[in-house]
Amino acid sequence: MSNKPERSNLPVKRSSSLSSLQPIDTSPFKNTSGPWIVWGSIFLTWLVSLLPWRQWSPAPDILLLTLAFWILHEPRRVSLVWAFSLGILIDVHDAHLFGGQALAYVLAAYGVMVLSRRLLLFEPVVQLMHLIPVFIVANAIPVVIQAWISGEWVGWTWVLSAVLTAMLWPLADFLLFLPHRRLDDADDGSS
Amino acid sequence: MQEQSTIRLFKRGPSAEVRLAVFVVLAIALLITDARSTLLEPARQAISVVLYPFQRAAMAPGDLANYLSSWTDSAALVRSEKEALQRQRIELAQLSTHAAQLSAENEQLRRLLQVADRVSQPSVAVQVFYEPPNAFSRHLIFDKGSAHGIRAGMPVIDDGGVVGQIVRVTPYTSEAALITDDKVSVPVQVLRNGLRLITFGGVGASRVEARYLTSDIDLEVGDVLVTSGIGGLFPAGLPVARVESVEHDSSTGFAVAVGTPLSYPERYRHFLVLLVPEPVLNPDNEGLHNEQ
Repeated sequence: MSNKPERSNLPVKRSSSLSSLQPIDTSPFKNTSGPWIVWGSIFLTWLVSLLPWRQWSPAPDILLLTLAFWILHEPRRVSLVWAFSLGILIDVHDAHLFGGQALAYVLAAYGVMVLSRRLLLFEPVVQLMHLIPVFIVANAIPVVIQAWISGEWVGWTWVLSAVLTAMLWPLADFLLFLPHRRLDDADDGSS
Repeated sequence: MQEQSTIRLFKRGPSAEVRLAVFVVLAIALLITDARSTLLEPARQAISVVLYPFQRAAMAPGDLANYLSSWTDSAALVRSEKEALQRQRIELAQLSTHAAQLSAENEQLRRLLQVADRVSQPSVAVQVFYEPPNAFSRHLIFDKGSAHGIRAGMPVIDDGGVVGQIVRVTPYTSEAALITDDKVSVPVQVLRNGLRLITFGGVGASRVEARYLTSDIDLEVGDVLVTSGIGGLFPAGLPVARVESVEHDSSTGFAVAVGTPLSYPERYRHFLVLLVPEPVLNPDNEGLHNEQ
């Protein structure tokens, strides 16, 4: 009994012993994150975004962070529609013009989607460096449009906000993958 | 796994670029529509009604903590408040005798002029719900809305004077622009000599200014500006601002007066919204929304 049978051999070889069944792929199975952790984290960060701490204008946008994170890791669940809808909700809460934040979220989400294949190759710290320009551009376009509509410039604190948001990426990676990692560890232990 | 992801690419509906384009166009269309017209107000009201319970829920722990802390140092608070009130009472006693005398005299003069007495305005006390994080404007959100009779255009006052004006109402909340916001203008009078002016917001953090004054204008630093009552929206005689500087610009030939508001929108949580009757409000409603 060879330890590593060829894949094509597997169905042909008939053996009564269970020990002959070898996995075709020994890399650990990648669990998807459950709907509870995805929607729960988005709902929680949205609730926290309703609190007054964001009055400090360079405050990081944790809702954008969570959205971008799940768009990267769970693109089937979280899509542009959600980015847009949550942006509209934030716009109403902030008494902004309709669509400003929605535009920022949609652009950031698209940026993450385009870069997703590349991003997934790297560690969170390297992902962070990719995301800084994405968040800055995504925030810049609505700011410019609103400045054009209202006829005044708001200053540059939003750049700091975008950078701080990206800085929190490794933390988000750690926190939002906690339940996920636990599952992976359990799998490793059983094998 | 790689096979799966390639299959998924084909199975999806419109490509990401198409969806991005749809959403970007939609967002920009919304931005421009909202800036130029009032078409989206019903949608905003509907969303804000849905949001309201979540906002309340999110703020509940903070409110509870506030309540508990205010409860624990209520003794100290009550003592200091009592002292302040006593001091105020002595000051007000002087003022009130003076005011009684003046109002009697005023009444007599009005009778002489056969001018109808101004009815004292009904009002609603509101509390600040939250301050929206918005770099473009200086607004406050209050915890009462059209369900309590508040309408867009109504003035907001505190014990210092005029705070601002309601610009947007939803069933349970209302949004006020402060007099320091560039969308609000208040017709005022100089208390010292009765000169009529209009103050605008939008200069610096908490300043109002009166623009395009003739260079020989009789306006001094320290002059108090009160509402003139012209336009009917703001009742006459409410303090608005104290003049801080009068700058003469020799190149344009005009002077600009800059004043500090006498109200304290940033200090307290309670304000009064004056319920101006509908007929006075209606003509201004359109103007207010268009400015938004």
